[in-house]
Amino acid sequence: MKGEGFLTKNISNFTHTLESVILTEDLCHAPGLLQSLDSRVKVVTFVLFIVTVGLARSLAILGTIFVLILIFSFLSKVSLRFFLKRVLLFIPIFTAVIALPALFITPGEPLIAVAGKLIITEQGARTAVLLFLRVVDSLSFGMLLILTTPWTSILVALRWFRIPSLLVDILGMTYRYIFLLLHTANSMFLARRSRTIGTLSSGENRRWLAIALATTMAKSQHLSEEVYLAMLSRGYQGEVRVLNDLRLKRRDFLWVAFALLAAFILLWGNSL
Amino acid sequence: MHIPDGYLSPATCGSMYAVAVPFWYLAVNRVRKVLTNRTVPVLALFAAFSFVLMMFNVPLPGGTTGHAVGGTLLAIVLGPWAAVLGVSVVLGIQALFFGDGGLLTFGANCFNMAIVLPLVGYFIYKVIASNSEATSPRRLLAAVAGSYLAIVAASFAAGLELGIQPTLFHAADGTPLYAPYGLNVALPAMLIGHLLIAGPVEAVVTGGVFAYLQRSHSSLIKADAPRKKEGKLWLLWGALGLLAFATPLGLLASGTAWGEWGVDELKNMGLGFIPQGLEKLAGWWPAPLPDYGFPRMGAVIGYILSAVVGIALVAFLLWMLGRWLSRKSLAKQESSAKEASIE
Amino acid sequence: MTMDAGHIFEAKNLSYDYPGGIAALRRTNFTIGTGELVALVGANGSGKSTLLKLLDGLLFPTEGKLLAFGQPLSEKALKDGAFVTEFRRRVGLVFQDPDVQLFSPTVWDEVTFGPLQLGITKDEVVSRGLKVLELLNIVHLRERPPYLLSGGEKKKVSLASVLSVSPQVLLLDEPTTGLDPWSQGNLIDFLLQWADKGKNLVFSTQDLDLVEEIASRVLVLGAEHNIVADGKPEDFLFDPDFLLRTNLIHEHSHRHKELVHRHPHLHEHHHQQ
Repeated sequence: MKGEGFLTKNISNFTHTLESVILTEDLCHAPGLLQSLDSRVKVVTFVLFIVTVGLARSLAILGTIFVLILIFSFLSKVSLRFFLKRVLLFIPIFTAVIALPALFITPGEPLIAVAGKLIITEQGARTAVLLFLRVVDSLSFGMLLILTTPWTSILVALRWFRIPSLLVDILGMTYRYIFLLLHTANSMFLARRSRTIGTLSSGENRRWLAIALATTMAKSQHLSEEVYLAMLSRGYQGEVRVLNDLRLKRRDFLWVAFALLAAFILLWGNSL
Repeated sequence: MHIPDGYLSPATCGSMYAVAVPFWYLAVNRVRKVLTNRTVPVLALFAAFSFVLMMFNVPLPGGTTGHAVGGTLLAIVLGPWAAVLGVSVVLGIQALFFGDGGLLTFGANCFNMAIVLPLVGYFIYKVIASNSEATSPRRLLAAVAGSYLAIVAASFAAGLELGIQPTLFHAADGTPLYAPYGLNVALPAMLIGHLLIAGPVEAVVTGGVFAYLQRSHSSLIKADAPRKKEGKLWLLWGALGLLAFATPLGLLASGTAWGEWGVDELKNMGLGFIPQGLEKLAGWWPAPLPDYGFPRMGAVIGYILSAVVGIALVAFLLWMLGRWLSRKSLAKQESSAKEASIE
Repeated sequence: MTMDAGHIFEAKNLSYDYPGGIAALRRTNFTIGTGELVALVGANGSGKSTLLKLLDGLLFPTEGKLLAFGQPLSEKALKDGAFVTEFRRRVGLVFQDPDVQLFSPTVWDEVTFGPLQLGITKDEVVSRGLKVLELLNIVHLRERPPYLLSGGEKKKVSLASVLSVSPQVLLLDEPTTGLDPWSQGNLIDFLLQWADKGKNLVFSTQDLDLVEEIASRVLVLGAEHNIVADGKPEDFLFDPDFLLRTNLIHEHSHRHKELVHRHPHLHEHHHQQ
């Protein structure tokens, strides 16, 4: 049923997002390797790793990195199935589909022929796999960061990196209110679905979508005014003052050393 | 249109961050000036709204569905610079907390969706709507057209970033190291996809919400006409922006630009004699970037970086000029205001 | 700026219009002294929330004057950093909607926000935060983000976020709305205990039982957006005609077989007659 499909699809999108947050909250506090590291160190080293992934030129290096990633996730109590599902689903598969034509149209030495006429070139094969691995590796690091670090710690790390506190305050408050608005939007969709018998035309759905969005926007506007008053009421005078109690432990230094060494060795592999 | 990590080389990612930073800086200053203490709650709540908007799965006639960005809508309601910050915040949250869109490509994604999109959309909206009533159909058309063209422009930028990868970054045997398709594939692919699907989705969402706002919350729409000076400034920036976009297209053309011949080129062209003045001048001005290339880098990276530096320089000079001019006119206004003051 | 602790609040011909021009409050006059526990009652739309926001210096009178601790609460006065800090240290407002009150990433951030903005030292902030969490039995919620809290928990955290500043005056907008009876009882006990130390309470409510249990004084706002009654609860809270006139109760009828029993809907009192 077309009409139901539209509502249900959106409801499951929202619900999925709302629920995934609860899942990750638990994982952030598990007694694993990555969870025990300072968030600033994690952000810096993970960016270093992703840059390494970006600079790597051989499939062997990218493959090694993926093995490293699996080891990290194992040591951080992240279940393999859960991790692979989260990483591989959607973006890497999407990438594989996009890279498919490259197999054939990239100029170079022919590798194998498919279905008689189509020829996969060596360069084509390599570029497709390179892209796929790069995407998987980079995405994995991003995922690991999110799964093992409470988002509030990421905010503290950003503040420490001298990102303007105005932007960090906005990031934090935005994240906080996303869930409220998602919940509100979800309720609207659920209410609408419970009153829908049969299919609705695409046009009716679009019309209703516009109303749902505009209502959410008006609510955001109203909330922004009230929240401002609530902030003023508690002494806000233009800049949020925060508690900062991050401390580096010995294992953080060890980890940084390890990351630098790993990056160096991996990139040295480029010249091989 | 979120480009994941891996599609763009670290060098491209770095350049795009460099391009985005001045826009972010400008946006923070502009927004703070208007919203002052309200900046945090207003931007946060509207960014949260944008996030929700981006999550909606929108049905198009014919059965396809898509997701909107909503940058133009945000620019219309909150102003272009607030939209730049707001969409950047959403992209940041998507990248940092949801793994949607890369951490290295954040600069590029912001440039496309948080800078090009809202600014182009707002510019076109203002030009078409001019000073019509908040509830007029002309304004609705302006919103729809602006949002459609904005997302197409953003996709063009994304197509450029992706399309130059194989030329600039490939292995010795020709294997593209990042996004594997050149401009001749990437550009049409991005453009067609957005002209036919993402564009209409964006237009439908923006138009639908805007129309509803016109009916029920028209106070959210400001109906003032763009100030004359502001309009001319926009035109200038728009032209510069267009030129900036076009520079990579220079890579598609081969041979040196007409008129930009150096002494050696002239000799080769058969002009046995070299205009004497030219010979004298050739050695005199040791331009910091001889022949448009940074020393010791690939010629093409050099070409692009030079374009960026060149445009930045021109833009900076124009900005200084603009500041000087507006200070002069402000002084003139102040002195005439003093004479005409009513107290 | 010295603050006179004699009168807490003084309203002289206080009026407020919404930005569109619609009246919210008209020519109200009252004073609130130290230690008073004041209930604001009135039908929906009578201006209770607006009055609380005025008392908290979030809105400013369109006409008339409002004084707090002897100083005028004007837009100009609230631009002075020192005055703002002192005022915000003494007066706290708990908003009706916890989602408005709880704007910080976690409960801990929320509870420490107030003291931090007032410039209190880091150690003192931490100790106050812990104390207030213990006081309301929500220590286990410390790292929770607000969207993972239940309605009752949210209300507790809202209260905690204001109490951590140790205010002298607590303003509450409909504190028991949405709470189950058990939580309501808990809250009432807590407020009475807190106020016992000579503090001030000003709360708006639709619940007349709450008024009876807590308030030492009642301000009734009428349909004309002014104060129609000001005095001790027992003076007019048991007058059904008055209550009907000011829309604080409704007339209710039910059937006992063929008999239609019509009486003002006020709890045990009509049965006493």
